[in-house]
Amino acid sequence: MTAIGAVLLIMVILASVSSPYFIDEYNLKALIRDLAFIGMIGIGQALLLLIGELDLSVGKIASLCGVIAGMLMVTAGLNPYLSLALALALGVALGSINGLIITKLRLNSMVVTIGMAGVYGGVTLVLTKGKAVTNIPDVIHFLGKGNLGPLPIPFVFTLLVLTAVLFLTKKTKTGRYIYAIGNSKEAARILGIKVDRIRILNYAIMGLIASLAGILYVARLGSSQSSIGENWPMNSIAASVIGGVALTGGIGNPAGALIGAAIISVIQNMIVLLGVNVYWQSAVSGFVVVAAISFGSISAILRERKQRKIKIDVEVKKEKMEAE
Amino acid sequence: MTALEARNITKLFPGVVALDSVDIAFESGRIHCIVGENGAGKSTLIKCLTGVYQPDDGEIFIGGRKCGPPGSAIFKKVAYVPQEIDLFPNMSVAENLFLPYTQSYFKGLISQRKIQDKAWPFLEKFGIKVAPDQLVKDIPISSQQLLQVARATVNEDYEALMLDEPTTSLTTDDSAVLFNIIKRIKADDKAVIFISHKLEEVFGLGDEITIMRNGEMVSHSRIDQMDSASVITQMTGRTIDQNEVFFARRAPGEKLLEVEHLTGARFTDVSFTLRAGEILGFYGLVGAGRTELMQAIFGHLAVYSGTVKLRGIPHKLGDTSHSVSQGLIYLPEERKKYGILPQLSIRENVSISVLDRISSIFGISPAKENALADEVIAAYDVKTPDSQKAIQFLSGGNQQKVIIGRAMICRPKVLVFDEPTKGIDVGTKTEIYRMMRKLAEEKDIGIILISSELEEVRRCSNRLLVLYDGRQAAEFEAQADKDEILRAVIGVKDSARKNMNSGDRWRKIQ
Repeated sequence: MTAIGAVLLIMVILASVSSPYFIDEYNLKALIRDLAFIGMIGIGQALLLLIGELDLSVGKIASLCGVIAGMLMVTAGLNPYLSLALALALGVALGSINGLIITKLRLNSMVVTIGMAGVYGGVTLVLTKGKAVTNIPDVIHFLGKGNLGPLPIPFVFTLLVLTAVLFLTKKTKTGRYIYAIGNSKEAARILGIKVDRIRILNYAIMGLIASLAGILYVARLGSSQSSIGENWPMNSIAASVIGGVALTGGIGNPAGALIGAAIISVIQNMIVLLGVNVYWQSAVSGFVVVAAISFGSISAILRERKQRKIKIDVEVKKEKMEAE
Repeated sequence: MTALEARNITKLFPGVVALDSVDIAFESGRIHCIVGENGAGKSTLIKCLTGVYQPDDGEIFIGGRKCGPPGSAIFKKVAYVPQEIDLFPNMSVAENLFLPYTQSYFKGLISQRKIQDKAWPFLEKFGIKVAPDQLVKDIPISSQQLLQVARATVNEDYEALMLDEPTTSLTTDDSAVLFNIIKRIKADDKAVIFISHKLEEVFGLGDEITIMRNGEMVSHSRIDQMDSASVITQMTGRTIDQNEVFFARRAPGEKLLEVEHLTGARFTDVSFTLRAGEILGFYGLVGAGRTELMQAIFGHLAVYSGTVKLRGIPHKLGDTSHSVSQGLIYLPEERKKYGILPQLSIRENVSISVLDRISSIFGISPAKENALADEVIAAYDVKTPDSQKAIQFLSGGNQQKVIIGRAMICRPKVLVFDEPTKGIDVGTKTEIYRMMRKLAEEKDIGIILISSELEEVRRCSNRLLVLYDGRQAAEFEAQADKDEILRAVIGVKDSARKNMNSGDRWRKIQ
């Protein structure tokens, strides 16, 4: 956590040195508004990674919930806040469906959520026929575009999500069980933990967060579009992993995902500010993400090598002494 | 001619002399049986002879040539069939037979048809009635067992064939097929090394017999100079040391666990009663169904029929969470895999079962959690600098103490210990035995002890049940005669019949 925080700090310093536009208030606010979404989804993804699973349908849950919220308030003319509440409930339901299929049918989370992403995305297309839902009521625009003091509102929500998830993982029984399941599902079951119930809960929370992100994005754009959240699954996983959450489960802190998201956002921002060729942007950002992920692993490999060398030296010395 | 020979080999593990100056030689064209209790050093010997372990002292000769360090090419001349099935389940029979394709049969690209054609004669020779293109996971266990032997001998350039308990998952008919094959291999002038717990097989097949105990070679002779009784005597030894007993010395209390006619995948019609303040031992060969029985009672595995009562109340099966909340706790055999949460700290491993007790609306209290962990560390004498250390870095014995401590803070009524001293050194073993006795005597709980070490169950159990092939073979009182128990373990029928109807017998003892 501290190491990855330091990496973020160094990147921020590098960015502000290399481009005068980086610390510009407008640029920073736009950056933070962007990272709020990946950060939020990343925190949810971290919960799933902690139990050794993941959800690739988050983007499609977000766009479906955003579209449903838009249709409820525009087409059906429902109260905007009621519409948002219903969309959040839908997110919980969609996440729970993922969780139920994965646990009850004993399937792999990656395969199921790829499939379900297709289903949710398809439903969105059927509902919208590919067109955006426009004329989202002005009263909710502040959720996406507004600021609370210096902070963009979406980022305030990200901080709220982080606080709630941190309390869950660090202070509650359920949180401890999440880590236990990530260590070993079998051992957790033998300890009397209701493993499947907790796994489903994690998918439901992921669904809720995805839906929240989708709604905020709709409020930001002022329209509901089926294309919302296309990059969210991969970026959220990358954010978690960069933030030190192990793909194998049991290790990591959800707060790391927010730092990871910040690193990704700063990289993308720098690429734009430094005027990297448009066609190279994706390659450069991908490379930097892989480099950031390898950071911890490379230092472990180096440490192992050093230990091996020390051991060999000791053995050689022993043999020499015996020979003498 | 001597095919394989070990001279004066010694192997030390921390706190244990696993092999103590063992001299053993295997002649071509002879079947040489090795017997001994669990922990006698058989598997350590095998691992030295097959080049897995480096002996701390002594030399190994294969075909008269001295062997280099483990992994040397010369060890390929010892064909080895391990006890557990060690095949690739999702590959075909033919692929399993020939992998890793180092034999000269195959050069360049591998054609599935070619290896399948090559496989037929081997399958016929070994009486394996499956097609070469079937996947290994789809063929019966007995065929898998025979396929392992076929695979080990596919490269005919071996001097000695070593079989470790090859019949544990074979029926009598399958075993007969295997024995014919072994006799043919013997006729090919290869040395055969046969390790088994089943004495009737040893006497039916062997030419020579070596008996091991506590890492030493106790005797070596021709099989026709031995009889079953003297083998058992020499195997177990009448050592007077280590005679401290650990069963609970108090009158048994209320009935805690009543199991009636329980049947599951690996056990059939098992009934027994456990009372407060007693230690009930379960003994049997590996694979006799002891672990499966206990995991089913605990709710981790399925029960097909039968009932379980906990303190007189019918117990809901199939729900581990319910079992734990009702005070029935199972401490698994595979400690590293199922017992500990390796990456979590000692503190988190201790508190995981009682988080309600140390939580308020503000969440888990760090102060209370630390106090709880320190309490367990002190009470169970866990050797660690502090409770923040990840449990995976503790020694096996200390991990076991943490696990026992964790179980005890749940205030259990029934504790099931599955091989609690597996891989634990002698000194710590005694500590754990004392701990079990104290729990039974003072905390009024009932303890079930599953063990594959006869000495361990004999010294720790108030009563002892023997399972054979998933069925109750016999029941004994504390400190029963070793020979009697061993006979029941290997399925000798008369002893089993004498001790049947364990329920009636128990009433009589009372």
